[in-house]
Amino acid sequence: MNKIHAMTEPLQASLQYAYTLTEDSDNYGNPVLWLKLEDKRDLLNAARVVANLGGRCVTATAYKTEEGHTLIYHLDIDGILLNIEAYTTDHTIDAITPLLPSADWAEREFREMYGIEPVGHPNNERLFLDESLMKGVLNRYIPLSKMMLGVSESDILWERVEKEKRA
Amino acid sequence: MSERVTIGPFHPELEESVYFKLSANDDKVVTHVDLINGFIHRGMESLVTQKNFMQNLILTERVCSLCSNNHPFAYALAVEKIAGVKVPRRAEALRVVADEVKRAASNLFNLAMLAHLIHHHDLMKETMETRELMQDLKEIIWGNRMDMSANTLTGVKYDLDDEKIDLILKTLETFTPKLASLTEQYEHDEKVVARTVGIGVLPKADALRLGVTGPVARGSGINNDVRVKAPYALYDELKPKVTLRDAGDVHARAMCRLGDITEAVRMIKEVVKNLPEGEIALAKRPHIPAGEATVRVEAPRGELIYYLKTDGTQKPVRMRWKVPTYTNWEALKVMILGSKVSDVTLILNSIDPCISCTER
Amino acid sequence: MEQTVKPRLFRINTGSCNGCDVEFVATAFVPKFHLDQLGVELVDRIEDANILVITGPMTARSQAFFEEAVSKVKPPYVVVGVGTCSVTTGIFRDSYAIYGPLDKYIDVDVNVAGCPPRPQAIAEAIAQGVKILQSKLLDQPMPTKLETIFTDFEAPESYRGRISLDAQKCTACRTCETVCPSGAIKITKTLEGYEHTIWHNTCCFCGNCSYYCPTGAIFTTNDFHTIQRQEEKYTDTHVALIPFHECEDCGKNFIPATEALIHRSYPKEEVPEMLTKSCPECRKRTTFERCYR
Repeated sequence: MNKIHAMTEPLQASLQYAYTLTEDSDNYGNPVLWLKLEDKRDLLNAARVVANLGGRCVTATAYKTEEGHTLIYHLDIDGILLNIEAYTTDHTIDAITPLLPSADWAEREFREMYGIEPVGHPNNERLFLDESLMKGVLNRYIPLSKMMLGVSESDILWERVEKEKRA
Repeated sequence: MSERVTIGPFHPELEESVYFKLSANDDKVVTHVDLINGFIHRGMESLVTQKNFMQNLILTERVCSLCSNNHPFAYALAVEKIAGVKVPRRAEALRVVADEVKRAASNLFNLAMLAHLIHHHDLMKETMETRELMQDLKEIIWGNRMDMSANTLTGVKYDLDDEKIDLILKTLETFTPKLASLTEQYEHDEKVVARTVGIGVLPKADALRLGVTGPVARGSGINNDVRVKAPYALYDELKPKVTLRDAGDVHARAMCRLGDITEAVRMIKEVVKNLPEGEIALAKRPHIPAGEATVRVEAPRGELIYYLKTDGTQKPVRMRWKVPTYTNWEALKVMILGSKVSDVTLILNSIDPCISCTER
Repeated sequence: MEQTVKPRLFRINTGSCNGCDVEFVATAFVPKFHLDQLGVELVDRIEDANILVITGPMTARSQAFFEEAVSKVKPPYVVVGVGTCSVTTGIFRDSYAIYGPLDKYIDVDVNVAGCPPRPQAIAEAIAQGVKILQSKLLDQPMPTKLETIFTDFEAPESYRGRISLDAQKCTACRTCETVCPSGAIKITKTLEGYEHTIWHNTCCFCGNCSYYCPTGAIFTTNDFHTIQRQEEKYTDTHVALIPFHECEDCGKNFIPATEALIHRSYPKEEVPEMLTKSCPECRKRTTFERCYR
């Protein structure tokens, strides 16, 4: 428990705005912490503590909400998993990559998948998405072919199978 | 004078498509590295939200064929956490067996590619043929050489009877001396040593900064193996002894992988000899309420994390995963800078890159 | 096999999960798969190739590079599509990042479905490719049916190969259709009953259908011979009719519970006769009437 305390204490001390911190565990008793920030400006404060404790960024998850986007940074400090949740309504968040270089790809990825700008990120290049695909593809939920043609590739292929069956 | 060299995206020495743009000086030493990704990006995080929880057992398996067991394994752990169910102990044991067989086969494939890239054909053939023992085992017990379809929600789809346990033990008996011989060769063989020692070095400080995991971390002296740091299934009892090296070179990473195989053999034997009695999965299909979970497992290449968010329907609202290569990839730049152009694909292979995993 | 030309092979991965590519390496370097018998040379440059082995569902980023690469190949050449993804994009279909299947961008000669196909199937597909290459070079007519070249390959009983269906046991409940991750099963209503179609070329051979099937009607066989000409792409299906029965009371069409399903519900007791003879509506009415008579 001391190990968790050594983590949560400086973390809580660093935060300037409201937050909730919950202690959970996986199905095998390994601790998993969830820190939900009321204000995204606290993200850098928390990231700085993680960097000081020798932690690393495992990855980050983004998803769309009605008002904007939720972002969850998944961080590791010597085997303890810390999830930091923040939300943004203006498509920006302060990049933590300058503090935790392990966040490099994670932040670039939500930039291209959701169009959320990690402000202050050192690398502007695209990661996976081909230029022919629009940024923010994951903000939509339907396949591109269905949107553009009104039919999906599955519809087209199965129609052909049905035709051959009747032939 | 500087020369520009491109490798890829389609190249016989690249298992998966990736595009390198390098600058090299007159001595053929790399002075600048540019890596272009995205050839294997299939939009899978969008696809998983279009499919139901049963379909996703298989879709996650198709993220990558080399760590194909880890994905549905981690995915199932996330669902089980949200559903609040405990998996039967026999199922936990069977999950370990499937995973370690996969780990052994995956690592051997990477080692075979190493031998291939240094043109050591006898060693490559020997490694591939040793791997075939695992491939045959997978085909007989699980029905496919790459995609085992071992996991289901709340347990596993397969069981082991005495006959199958016997087959596993006999296979391991044949396998063990071959593995010992391979370990000896990768450690000391002149050709291997000449091409891999001191090549593609990742210093410990860089490894820490970049957050690398798996054999890439362990080759640089860092142990962040999930099976040790946050044990799941039966790993808390099995206590895997991971191999650590400090050289941080191609050779060190290869030796960590061989160490993992030796441990895999030990753990498989231990588990199948003491297989707990009981069910292989819960009889009732789990109710998956609204919730979220983050879980981790150790894939052959390192840490794999799954985040799952559900809303009580039959499909995930959001699912994201991060594979070891995702963070190990940036380390390539450190390893390649200052290396010979002729070593680039060898160095790439030394992180055991799983591009399909990384780009999803 | 008599040969007139040296087959020179180049592999292209258009975005696969690497399963087919790994198995291709096994096929090429493990002697038991006989690829050496074909005298195939693996070439370093696509320009030198006359056999293209192509894997993957053709991702958005691969497409332009792919078209540029294959434009350098001089005819005659043969294209072998390896793996379900290359044939129909399989499990990845309908994603924003998938531009395949392969035959939109190049004329395919031989397909081999599988996820991944076993090396024995890949070797067979390449052998067929070599044969077709010779026919092309000699201007001979293309074979209409492929005769198996490597006849000594076997598969273990448990191998998850082609899916089959025992129509006697099927109740058209659509479980298999629902759990199939790659859209390989379609159940459609016709005048006679329900038509159950399995399209092998988009199957990912995972066995989810048989695992979840409540009656054991759908099952995997160990048949791994999925090698075929492009012309057979849409016709390699397993079609079965689950016929309607006429209700003995009202005469309406219905699908009776099969014996396999009934035995799950009544493992010990005697099975009520009306289960197989009356439609659900009439059974409900009969039961109701019996209770309140």
